[in-house]
Amino acid sequence: MTTETTETAGTVGTGTVLPPLTAHLTRESLVRYAGASGDFNPIHYSDHAATSLGLPGVVAHGMLTMAVAARAVTAWAGPDARLVSYGARFTRPVPVPDDGVGAELLVSGTVTAADEETTTVTLEVTCGGEKVLGAARVVLARDPA
Amino acid sequence: MPITPDHAGKAYAPTEPYEVTRVKLAEFAAAVGEPALVEEAHPAAPPTFAAVVTNAAWGSLFTDPELGLSLERVVHADQQFRYTRELRAGDLVTATLRIDKVRVRGATEIVSVTVDVADVLGAPVLSAASTFVHTREEAA
Repeated sequence: MTTETTETAGTVGTGTVLPPLTAHLTRESLVRYAGASGDFNPIHYSDHAATSLGLPGVVAHGMLTMAVAARAVTAWAGPDARLVSYGARFTRPVPVPDDGVGAELLVSGTVTAADEETTTVTLEVTCGGEKVLGAARVVLARDPA
Repeated sequence: MPITPDHAGKAYAPTEPYEVTRVKLAEFAAAVGEPALVEEAHPAAPPTFAAVVTNAAWGSLFTDPELGLSLERVVHADQQFRYTRELRAGDLVTATLRIDKVRVRGATEIVSVTVDVADVLGAPVLSAASTFVHTREEAA
């Protein structure tokens, strides 16, 4: 560790609120994510497959929700930010109906811990007023090197 | 023969080396709404791009006839990435999956796995711990 601190390390403390973001998901979003990620689980494009598992219909990939939520952190922390960890529980599915509307995710983040080495951002992601991720936390290294 | 708690500890061979390319990074960034790649030789991947690399390793779980799992009956319950460093364009990496824990509750099987991603010299890049919930068809 050097004694030099970055602007971020010097100014960010517990309770800092990140700029929120909203993201709109449609069936096209899920198809794009399936292709980009290689996750072709049919519950993310087939209502038949989804309902046979007891889901209300096609649901978003949990990993897509997690990727969208991470944007709140990457936009705030900048391209040089270095992640130590990122985890979440997929507590509630995000149905994405084929109704011309889709689903809207609201992402907010708060710094919940900060010490000399790391900054922890806890993310809250809701869809239709309900939380869809649990224990969603990004830990950033304070030293961007 | 279905999956049982005794499968904890089972490990799979590393995936074929995967090359992280600018084109794939750009495709992934667009799919999740991240901004366009920065103009540098080896841009860093978005945080969850690791899923692209781990996906092939997850496939070895869902195609293992010994376990009797089918992908379309799987829901992802949680995910934890721990990064030694970020993935970057130009990286050549492998992903190695092991089963950590299996819990069986009637027709529901809860499978915890870890995928270790390393470069082709064996240096660690990240690990991805996941829990998958599989529901056997006869229960539906």
